Amino acid sequence: MIDLATPADPADGLAAVVALRRLAEQLEAAEVERAMRTGWSWPEVAEALGVTRQAVHKKHAKRLIAAGVELRRR
Amino acid sequence: MLQRFTKDARAIVEAAVEIARERGASTVEAEHLLLAATRREDPTAIVLRGHGLDFDGLDRALEAESERSLAAVGVSAERPRFTPFPGKPRFATSAKAALEGALRAATERADRHIGSRHVVLGVLRPTRGTVPRALGLAGVDRDELSAAISSAT
Repeated sequence: MIDLATPADPADGLAAVVALRRLAEQLEAAEVERAMRTGWSWPEVAEALGVTRQAVHKKHAKRLIAAGVELRRR
Repeated sequence: MLQRFTKDARAIVEAAVEIARERGASTVEAEHLLLAATRREDPTAIVLRGHGLDFDGLDRALEAESERSLAAVGVSAERPRFTPFPGKPRFATSAKAALEGALRAATERADRHIGSRHVVLGVLRPTRGTVPRALGLAGVDRDELSAAISSAT
């Protein structure tokens, strides 16, 4: 469990929102790549993220093909 | 607006897009413009470097800002490693605001062209957000830095 402390200063809290959005974005890119490298399929990754297969494919397919990741169809 | 930008200013904008892309950012932010400006060989970049803001110095300040902001809500994380997205990231609000600020800085100084100096002045204008926080952590006085850039020749 992450203990989400409440920052004393709203400036820190708002900056945390920005930093967390950036982190979540980078973490998604890293973890989708890692899953696909270890043989996950698009539908499996989509289900794990709670998004459609089309959405995850549209966002990451080109990048992973460029990175030379073997992509499973099913 | 971009037609009034000098070749140097345009080079900063283009380099910022590439820096954002390399870092896996989905959008170009004000800090990417400033990172790009530190790499130039002009009076503005020399002033930035004189304030400890060479590329690596600014990068460390941005990293510290990020760590500190996450720590404020009890989160610590390694920087995730991944293959960057192909294609050009779009300009986020912070970068657009910086470029509008560049235009305003040129207007205030009655300068006809918008150069790298104005782009950096535009980035330095806001008092809240990632860039001013990072500069604060690096011990840089924003107003003093702006004044130094304004008067650099």
